[in-house]
Amino acid sequence: MMRSRRIALSLLLTCSLAFFFMNSGFGQQVGSDEQRSTEEKKEIVTQTETEKEKLIPSPKNIKEGTAIYVFVGWMWLSIFVLIYILRLKIKEIDRLYKIKFFSAKRE
Amino acid sequence: MNLKAVITGIQAWFDDRFGLSQIFKFLREKEVPQHKHTIWYYTGSAILLFFGIQVITGFMLVFYYKPTLEEANKSIARIMTEAPLGWIIRSVHFWSASFMIAIVFIHLFSIWITKSYRKPREATWMSGVFLLVISLAFGFTGYLLPWDALSLSATKVGTDIPRSIPVVGIWITKLLRGGEDVTGDTLTRFFGFHVCILPVFIFILLGFHIYFIQKQGMSLPVDVENRNEDVNSLPFWPNFVYREMIVWLLLVGILVTIAIFLPPSLDKAADLMAPAPEGIKPEWYFLFLFQILKIFPAKILFINGDTLAVLLFAVAFILFFFLPFIDNKPAERKGKIITVIAYVVIVFAVVMTVWSLL
Repeated sequence: MMRSRRIALSLLLTCSLAFFFMNSGFGQQVGSDEQRSTEEKKEIVTQTETEKEKLIPSPKNIKEGTAIYVFVGWMWLSIFVLIYILRLKIKEIDRLYKIKFFSAKRE
Repeated sequence: MNLKAVITGIQAWFDDRFGLSQIFKFLREKEVPQHKHTIWYYTGSAILLFFGIQVITGFMLVFYYKPTLEEANKSIARIMTEAPLGWIIRSVHFWSASFMIAIVFIHLFSIWITKSYRKPREATWMSGVFLLVISLAFGFTGYLLPWDALSLSATKVGTDIPRSIPVVGIWITKLLRGGEDVTGDTLTRFFGFHVCILPVFIFILLGFHIYFIQKQGMSLPVDVENRNEDVNSLPFWPNFVYREMIVWLLLVGILVTIAIFLPPSLDKAADLMAPAPEGIKPEWYFLFLFQILKIFPAKILFINGDTLAVLLFAVAFILFFFLPFIDNKPAERKGKIITVIAYVVIVFAVVMTVWSLL
C-alpha cells in the first residue's frame, strides 16, 4: 500500500515537473530578430550590447521578478520541511537499525 | 489486475534484464563507517550532485548556444534576455561549476589528509586526480564560450602557457588553439572539447572511480584505523542516503539562491584586433597558478622563468598523482611529513589566490 502510494506520488511529481517545463516554454525556438515583434522587444528590460557594454541579467519584468522571489521563498520553505521529515525518518531508521529490526526480518 | 500486481510485474521485468535486485542488495549491505571524519564522505556525492546539475543545465544551454565567431556572444545574450528563465539556467550552470570544482578540491585534500588513498585504493586516487584535471579543463574551455573580451584574453594567456614546455609546447598550443592564435577556430574547438570530448572522458573515469569505491568500500582514516577500536557503521541505504539528502537539499538551496541573486554578467563581444583589456584574470580556481607564474622571475640562471615554472608544475602534478606510492608508510614519520605538506599546499594556494585578487 505504502509502495503504491509512493509510486503514485513520484508519478504525480514527474508529471507536474513535465507540465512546468512544457509551460515554461523552455527549449522552444527563440527566433531571429526579424521574427520578433516590436512588442516583444519592448519587454526586454536588459539592454543589448549596442546600448550597454555589459549585460547584467535580471528579471525581465515585475511579474517575473516577483515570481522569482516567491519561488526562492517557497523553495527554502520546502527545503526546511523536507529536512524536518528526513530528520524524523533518520531517527526512526536509526532506532530500527539499533534494535536490529531489519537483520531479524531477513533471518 | 490491481496496481500492486502491475508494479510487481514491471519490477520483475526490469530485474530479469538488469539484475536490479542484486544492486539493491549490495546497497542495503554496504556500510559507511562512523567516526570524527565522516563528514568528508559527503563530499563525493555532493560532487556528483553538482555534476548532474551541470549536465542538465548544459543540455538546456546547448539548445540556444551557437559556437561561431559572429553568434557566440549574441547567442549568450539571447539566452540571458529572451530564452525563458535563460539567465537563471546560465547562472546555475556557472555557479554549479564553481561549487563542483571547490568540492573536488576539498574532496581530494580530505583524502590526502586522512590518507584514504593507501593500499589498495591507489587507483581510486589516481582516477580522482584525473577527474580534477578534467573538471578544470571543463572550466577552462567553458570560460571562452561567452566570447567576450576578458575570456578571449584569458584564453590567450592560458593557451600560451604550454608554449614554454620544451619540444612539445608549441604543438600543444597549436592543438588547443586550432592555429597560431586564438580565433573562431579556437572557439569551435573549445566548444567541441566542452560538450563532446571532455564529457566522454569524465563519464568513463567517473565510472571507474565509482566502481573502485564500491569494490574497496569506504576507507577508514589512518588515525582511526591505528586506534584498533571497533568502529561503528551505518547502512548506506537508507540511513546514510537520507543524511546525504539533507546535504543535497541545502546545497541546491544555496546554489539556486546564489544563482538568482548573483548572476554572471556578459561583456560585449570580443574583438580579435582590440588590445587586451586591463585586469585579465582567469576563474578563481586557476588564480593560484596564475599568481605563481606572475611572480616567477623572467630568467633563473640560464633557464627561461616560464619554462622552469611549467616544469615545476609538471613535477608537482606527477608527485601529486603518485602520492599513494610515495606516502607508502602513512602512520610513520614520512607519512606525517606528507600530511604537513598537504596543509602547507592548502595555505600556499589560498595565499596565492588572495594575493592575485588584491
